[in-house]
Amino acid sequence: MSSTDPTIKDFEAAIAELESIVKKLEEGDLPLETSLQLYERGVQLSRFCHSRLEEAERRIEVLNERGQLTSGENVKLESDK
Amino acid sequence: MSSLFDLPFEEPKAEEPEPPPPRRVLTVSDLNARIRTLLEQQFIEVWVEGELSNSKVWNTGHMYFTLKDPGAQIRSVMFRSALRLLRFKPQDGLRVIARGRISVYDPKGEYQLVCEHLEPEGLGALQLAFEQLKQRLQAAGLFDPRRKRALPALPRKIGVVTSLDGAAVRDIIQVLRRRYPNAHIVIRPTRVQGEGAALDIARALAAIGRVPGVDVVIVGRGGGSIEDLWAFNEEVVARAIAGCPVPTISAVGHETDVTIADFVADLRAPTPSAAAEMVVARKDDFCNHIDRLAHRVQAAMATRLHRVESRVRALDARGATIRGQVAARQRSYQSLSRTLETFDLRRRLGRVRTRLMAAEGRLAGATVKSRHRADGRLRATAARLEALSPLAVLGRGYAVCWNADRTTVVRDAARIAEGDRVRVTLARGELDCHVIDRSHD
Repeated sequence: MSSTDPTIKDFEAAIAELESIVKKLEEGDLPLETSLQLYERGVQLSRFCHSRLEEAERRIEVLNERGQLTSGENVKLESDK
Repeated sequence: MSSLFDLPFEEPKAEEPEPPPPRRVLTVSDLNARIRTLLEQQFIEVWVEGELSNSKVWNTGHMYFTLKDPGAQIRSVMFRSALRLLRFKPQDGLRVIARGRISVYDPKGEYQLVCEHLEPEGLGALQLAFEQLKQRLQAAGLFDPRRKRALPALPRKIGVVTSLDGAAVRDIIQVLRRRYPNAHIVIRPTRVQGEGAALDIARALAAIGRVPGVDVVIVGRGGGSIEDLWAFNEEVVARAIAGCPVPTISAVGHETDVTIADFVADLRAPTPSAAAEMVVARKDDFCNHIDRLAHRVQAAMATRLHRVESRVRALDARGATIRGQVAARQRSYQSLSRTLETFDLRRRLGRVRTRLMAAEGRLAGATVKSRHRADGRLRATAARLEALSPLAVLGRGYAVCWNADRTTVVRDAARIAEGDRVRVTLARGELDCHVIDRSHD
């Protein structure tokens, strides 16, 4: 899943920008061309957010005393009991 | 036989004097030994309240002090083994409740309180230690609200510092999995109680804060006694939380347990499960929020397009330069729809398109209809004209009589003289006539 977009800083920023676009569009009375540009950006942002939501890996790791990361899925198994 | 008069003079019956006990002389040692036995048996465990004074810890590690109240004092000692277990620092002037036994030192004939446990009066010892550390850290600015960092809205990796054996780690994983199935969790196992736990926790916090991608940390453990939770009231843990490079949530024990860690952390969770809930919103909630925003973007855009459509309709109503306008609208709509087609929500926009096409349909229909209307009017007019045509009358056998110049229809015979010329129009052809005679009605 790629969600790298140089124009979008991070998830929070994307949500914030999307919210401001909604506000601008709903306040209305923008030229059609501007509306379309905002709309396009809004679609882009919501796609970014969705892809970021899917991005994190479903994974558990354990950081040991020596600073090494090992799989911690056994921890999860234990928790499922 | 006795008289009242005699009464005062009656001798009371004298009692037989007891024989003095046999004299027994003790040595000082004997006496002290007996006193010791007596006191030490009598005061095996005694609770006594008083004020600490003259306290001094010797290099043996034992603390000698005096416990006093306004009227009395007692020498006291607390041995190193007991002193070590105290969480707070006994200071002169502190009102305390001491538990201990009385011990007599035969050689000096002195007795003292051998103190096994000391607690501050009013507060428990732990509470006092808690308050002491809390004041110190507060003064150091560690609880300053301005230090509190905001949690990331969507963490990339969630760090967890706790014991692998406790319920806390299980609760945290379960809640995270439920709310945010693809969460990436990094656990740094640590002891959470007993000797050395505090240092272990502090080291774990330092280590996990350095794992790339970890942008929030939960540190805590499940419920237990205040002693069990004590590591989270240690300064070294507080300092480690303050020094953690990423925002930290404390989650120690139950709702009612408040630890120093809670004051220093960026956010305090009442329980480990609650910490997991705070660290990331439900994935569904995220999705819903984004979808709602996306939907509003579309609705606003649809409204905007609807206004375009309304203008098209207005033009229709005015009937002005319909073809040209439609063509222009069509062109702008086509470029619009090309842009729109690249976007997701085609269905919704499809509806807008359909409405626009319907509008165009109406426009086109309107032009055709008006042409038809015009044709119809023409035919009707032609029919009416035809009905008025004199030719039609002539066809029925009538004739029209004109003056000689054929400028006026002759309606009255009196206007014509004998010998005048008139012209007569028949259904087919015309006659040029001389008037021979005339008569009036």
